[in-house]
Amino acid sequence: MKLISLSALLFVILLGALFIYVAEDIPDFGDPYSAPNRYIKLFSMDAAELEDNLNQGVIPKSLADKIADRGLPLPTRVKSVKEGEWDFFLVPEEKQQAFFPKEQKYYFIKKEGDELEVYRYALIIRWIEEGEEETEVPNMVTYGLADYRGYDTLGETTVIFTAGVSVLLLLRRRGKRPEARKL
Amino acid sequence: MNTGNSDREGGKEGGKDVIVETISRVMVPFIQLFALYVIMHGSSGPGGGFQGGVIFGASFVLLVIAFGIVNAGDRFPEAVNTALFSTGVYIYAGVGLLCLISGILYFGVIEAQYLNYGYLPLPVHFEERRALGMDFIEIGVGITVMAVIAEIFFNLAWKKEEDEGEGEGEGIEKGEPE
Repeated sequence: MKLISLSALLFVILLGALFIYVAEDIPDFGDPYSAPNRYIKLFSMDAAELEDNLNQGVIPKSLADKIADRGLPLPTRVKSVKEGEWDFFLVPEEKQQAFFPKEQKYYFIKKEGDELEVYRYALIIRWIEEGEEETEVPNMVTYGLADYRGYDTLGETTVIFTAGVSVLLLLRRRGKRPEARKL
Repeated sequence: MNTGNSDREGGKEGGKDVIVETISRVMVPFIQLFALYVIMHGSSGPGGGFQGGVIFGASFVLLVIAFGIVNAGDRFPEAVNTALFSTGVYIYAGVGLLCLISGILYFGVIEAQYLNYGYLPLPVHFEERRALGMDFIEIGVGITVMAVIAEIFFNLAWKKEEDEGEGEGEGIEKGEPE
């Protein structure tokens, strides 16, 4: 009995330590530069000679090939953000153009030392930057909930509706009742 | 202990506490107004259908607590409530269907999408329609949540009272047979 208690105590302490570590390790809430909020790293390659091309607004072939190798859509335009950082844009496929007629900001290139790091922007960047323009609603949460994820919210409403119907079927007690007093 | 209980079950003969009754009678309209504000304000600030619906439902819960289930339940009849909680889902799904239909009529079969509020037949531009469509579905969500919260609470509260009533005597049974 004592052994079980002791091992349980040990287990609880270990679990607590793990939770404290996890809580310490996650990025600060709302940090816009934490990896999941900003971009996902794809690969890195030699910066030699590519930098000039990028600065002139030309997409180097070797870089485009490497992107195509991974089965990702090809960029069509490059724009310098600041010294050593570039944005790649792409035009959506034809069947998507009814909904996304504009160019989409898609890749992000950063120079670190002699290497070019290639990232893909996280979805949240597009969500933040273009949501208000697309929906005319200033509240990011609402346009996410009701517009971009409309099907999801329809499902949630149906779940609540189902809860109501279940209560009505299983626990219904309001059928007959005595005279009410006037409020 | 016992006196507290008999006060709370005031449903049969009516609540006895004047302060609680008066305050809740005064507060309920303001709570409901605030709920409507939260629902309609969902697109420009914190809020939305779920939150506003819960606040609206809470106003009925307050009525039940203050006046007892029998009297307050009359304010919100079961038939209306049952109709309301499907109405909310119908509004939501209906807005989606309207988008699909008018999308097919005005933009062609390929572009039409279920729940793409941009295709609603309203005399404003595409983005504005999306904002208005969001308001419509928030109203639907709010109605459903409000009705379901009230319905769940009323049914659970009613059951407790009924069980107690059976123990005490035939206070409820007597009133009914005719």
